Amino acid sequence: MIKVVNLHKSFGDLEVLKGIDSEIKKGEVVCVIGASGSGKSTFLRCLNLLEEPTKGDIYIDGVPLMELGKNINSLRQRVGMVFQQFNLFPHMTVMENVTLAPIKLKRMLPEEAEKKATVLLRKVGLPDKDNAYPNQLSGGQKQRVAIARALAMDPEIMLFDEPTSALDPEMVGEVLQVMKQLALEGMTMVVVTHEMGFAREVGDRILFMDGGVIAEEGTPEEIFDNSKHERTRAFLSKVI
Amino acid sequence: MGFLIELYKTLSDAIYFNLIKDDRYLLFIKGLGVSLKLTLYAAILGIIIGLLVAFARMTKNKVLNKIASLYIDIIRGTPAVVQLVIIYYAILGSSSLPKIGVASVAFGINSGAYVAELIRAGIQAVDKGQMEAARSLGFSYGQSMRYIIIPQAIKNILPALVSEFIVLLKETAIAGYIALDDLTRMGDIVRSRTFDAYTPFIVVALMYLYVTSILTYFLGKLERRMSISD
Repeated sequence: MIKVVNLHKSFGDLEVLKGIDSEIKKGEVVCVIGASGSGKSTFLRCLNLLEEPTKGDIYIDGVPLMELGKNINSLRQRVGMVFQQFNLFPHMTVMENVTLAPIKLKRMLPEEAEKKATVLLRKVGLPDKDNAYPNQLSGGQKQRVAIARALAMDPEIMLFDEPTSALDPEMVGEVLQVMKQLALEGMTMVVVTHEMGFAREVGDRILFMDGGVIAEEGTPEEIFDNSKHERTRAFLSKVI
Repeated sequence: MGFLIELYKTLSDAIYFNLIKDDRYLLFIKGLGVSLKLTLYAAILGIIIGLLVAFARMTKNKVLNKIASLYIDIIRGTPAVVQLVIIYYAILGSSSLPKIGVASVAFGINSGAYVAELIRAGIQAVDKGQMEAARSLGFSYGQSMRYIIIPQAIKNILPALVSEFIVLLKETAIAGYIALDDLTRMGDIVRSRTFDAYTPFIVVALMYLYVTSILTYFLGKLERRMSISD
């Protein structure tokens, strides 16, 4: 579904990604782990061109992303994204946050979009917050609304950029639970995370990034229990 | 006792000669009207110029960018009174525009630079993640601005804009330099007739204060309302 070939990204003189090759298949849950500054988030943000790669190619269903030009907007409709800082729209209610994109971009009727949003909000465990503003919600609730907002566009793939890193510890579970449910339903997901328990349990494949490259990849068992690389073992011994 | 009688006589004379005699209070009211009209016209023009310049400053077009920042630098780096006189004599003096029109254009051009910076600051104060979230949903840059960024920026901009217009009202006090009969100049006209400098200018000061107090009151209300959904 997504194919990444020799992806490079530099910020000025700083080379963050030094050649990434990877493929993400439909229905797969790929967890990206690694130390801060290893390039995980940059890699994820390249997948929907929030960061423009310096070199290399990304193909989605065989279509090269770099040649899309203005059509990038319609592509982004098919790729949902959840951010570390939630990025809910603070001037809109929960319901408006979730329905804005389907109404404006998919020309869905407001009633139809609201019906759909109601289903999604129930799914993420927030059936009674329609008229609340984001600042009235806890961090965990905000992130679940953000997930519902992304799902409202019926994405084919969901990107999660450290979705639980800005949460208080007691709220991490509720967000991971929603993500796990999504994975069980067969959603294609790329998750940048520090939650090793989640990666091991839900991930189909783990990418360990170090110094701007994928240092090792494999099934959770291969990475967490039988890692072949010294750097992977060193990282895991520090975080687990 | 004699002191009090003396004071009473001085005060009533001052009020009589500066306000009542020859209906001089009408001069002040007329002057205030001119000042308010001038401020209103200049404010409208300032908003229009400010919007255009703010967007010129934020586009990727380098030429527009340069022109906009040059304009802002020139306006902010020179005294308003100098700008007013230059625009009056050099640019608009030969046209048939009435003086208040010339002054409105001059103050509008002046205010536009400050308004442009307010708008730009207001937009840039919106968290960067908002644009990213909107773009990630598939909104174009323009749609993201319209639905997400601008509505939030307005909350930052509006109160600052009202403050700018309070400043603008006070700034128009230099309109007398091109012999426009605004409130301050009316004070001067009365002074030249009564040879009393204190009373007319205290009246002028109180009238400015009255209007700015009303504006400040609304500014406070506006700020409270804007902060409700944050």
